[in-house]
Amino acid sequence: MSEFRMPDMSRRSLLRAGAGLALLGGLSACAKSKTVAAGGDGQVVFWDMPWAQDSYNKSSDALVKAYKPADGLPAASLQRIQWNNFTTTFSSALASKTGPAVSTGGGFQAFQFAEEGYIATADNLVKKWDAEGFTQDFLPGTLEAMKTDAGYVAVPWQTDMRVWWYRKSAFEDAGVDVPKTWDELVTAGKALKSKGYVGFGVGAGAGNNLGAHTMVLMMINNGGGLFTPDGQLDLLNERNVEAMEFVIRLVKEGITDPAAVSYTSDNQLAQWKNKKFAFGLFTAALDEGVGDTTGDLLVAEPLTGGHGDKVALAFGNNIMMYTNTPSQEGTEAFLDYYIKNMKAFWQQKVVNGMPVLQSIVDLPEFQASENKMKVIAEYQPVARTYGSRSTSLFAAMAQVDGGQPLAEFTQTVLSGKTDAKTALTTLEKGLSAIVKS
Amino acid sequence: MFLLIAPSVALLLLIHGFPLLDAFRQSLHDGTLINTGSFVGIQNYTDNLTSEVFWKAASFTLVFTVVGVFGSWAVGLGLALLLRTRIPARGVFKVLLLLPWVVPIVVSSTAINWLVATSSSPIPQLFETLGLGQPLFLADPFWARILVCVFKVWISFPFMMMMSSAALASVDNSVYEAARVDGATGWQQLRWVTLPIVARSTYISWILMTIFCVNDFPTIFLLTGGGPIDATNSLVVLAYRLVFQNQQVGEGVSVAFIMTSVLVVISTLLYRQIRKAAH
Repeated sequence: MSEFRMPDMSRRSLLRAGAGLALLGGLSACAKSKTVAAGGDGQVVFWDMPWAQDSYNKSSDALVKAYKPADGLPAASLQRIQWNNFTTTFSSALASKTGPAVSTGGGFQAFQFAEEGYIATADNLVKKWDAEGFTQDFLPGTLEAMKTDAGYVAVPWQTDMRVWWYRKSAFEDAGVDVPKTWDELVTAGKALKSKGYVGFGVGAGAGNNLGAHTMVLMMINNGGGLFTPDGQLDLLNERNVEAMEFVIRLVKEGITDPAAVSYTSDNQLAQWKNKKFAFGLFTAALDEGVGDTTGDLLVAEPLTGGHGDKVALAFGNNIMMYTNTPSQEGTEAFLDYYIKNMKAFWQQKVVNGMPVLQSIVDLPEFQASENKMKVIAEYQPVARTYGSRSTSLFAAMAQVDGGQPLAEFTQTVLSGKTDAKTALTTLEKGLSAIVKS
Repeated sequence: MFLLIAPSVALLLLIHGFPLLDAFRQSLHDGTLINTGSFVGIQNYTDNLTSEVFWKAASFTLVFTVVGVFGSWAVGLGLALLLRTRIPARGVFKVLLLLPWVVPIVVSSTAINWLVATSSSPIPQLFETLGLGQPLFLADPFWARILVCVFKVWISFPFMMMMSSAALASVDNSVYEAARVDGATGWQQLRWVTLPIVARSTYISWILMTIFCVNDFPTIFLLTGGGPIDATNSLVVLAYRLVFQNQQVGEGVSVAFIMTSVLVVISTLLYRQIRKAAH
């Protein structure tokens, strides 16, 4: 048996060896990071957000792995990006050219990055789909919402719809019909209140945008909105003032929950689950969030506003391509594959959003949900975006949607300790400061 | 000598100096998270210093810090003194009293939210049962401020208790015996014996807790998000909201710089007190 012996080593050679190892480590780290960067090893890097539970992540992993590129085109790899400070993650990666070739992300992200020149438009892809007749598969308004003066900055993959829900048993208990108009909302709200229910269930607490979305929807529902058709801020128009006066009236009549200003989305879910909320706005997945299997939670019709407008509010989640890519043709081929095969998410029931393709709506797995089918049938045709009176989205919406002024405005209105004009004036001042920068 | 420490200095400059300089550069621009924007000089600083929102946040930061520091110190010292006495299961109490500090804030803030947020939550239910109505602990600006401050005291007192316990451990019991022989009451022993002896440790804990409170983001953000209607908006939450929600990077970073400057002044003043206490 030979004896193991340490080689003789001086202090200097030990230091050299250490430096060598450190250098090797550094180089391997560089090599590793290179595979992550777009085009680092010639792959199309796809950054995807965790859109739902882990089951979604597994499903999208499988979808990307199953991608077999045509000869000469690059393969694709997936990297999961967390929602926390995602704008910073994307911005720094794009600035350092280590970003993805294609990604999901925030609903308005593509519009922001397009203004900075980071986005590769999907015009060629849309032309190809036009030729194939595939664009006909997109539900009305979904693809068009991605179009700007520069072209299609992204393609839609799911819609995050804001939906009016009601609890059937609460309405039966109060002996009142489910409201279809604003006037009926007041009547029903009073009847529900007398039985201890909340007839206008909202929430505007920490991290909860549903309250802000309710305010914007009420403005749009009354023929108003945050922006003019050409994308300028327009807060103090008559329709917005009327809409907010109406919400303040609901607050003062006690039709809203007095603690709504502090409700997180979990608190809202709890109020629905505890049968306190009888009517209110939520995502299209309220019944699943509450775990209701009794059929007591149902989708109501979109409300008709004070001037006869019947609208819904939708956020188009999309997939965007970037200019920093190893192959634009390869990126388009991957996106083409992904969009045409994403039906797996709805077949496996791993996403909560509404599909943008008619072929997915037609799937038996999707048709099994009456609530979701009602959303497609009644909400999708009247869906508007934050742009409301504009046909397309634009970058400023990202700052408006997640920004502090709209959240604070919502809390002020829901506190009822203000008048509509004062609240809207403050909002306009706050949003002007943000949008200018 | 200088060559030997040069790598460390270079590393420190790289790790601390570069981000600091870059952040300062951003505070002089009107950029967003995506673009650098134009150079605007000290406009972001003057905008903040003349903004009502900034001063409202500064005022809540002051209240939050004063209550957080002195509230947790009073509770921590009281419990440290109690744990010096011969009470049964003292070790168990020591461990249990550390729990608020040990439990992650995400968990404890979720628990507090569950306890108070809705009308069906246990504490509003208890108040109603007692005929005290249903206070809106998170929805009413007054109650939200109180709740956030109480929560801060609750999660911070174990730290103060440990600091005080460590300082009290060095106090010889004969000092108290002598005080008692001289006829000192319990209060007089605390005022004239205990506090002067633990003064140095107390000032250190005040400095640390001041820094913890002024920079405390999760306690406030997880519980109220700075609301309702900015009632619990502190400077660090304001900086976060400006940068990451409004995407007003320059203004947000300038808030952070103003905050840091004030913190340095406060820490220096308290440090001088430590030196005085040492003499």
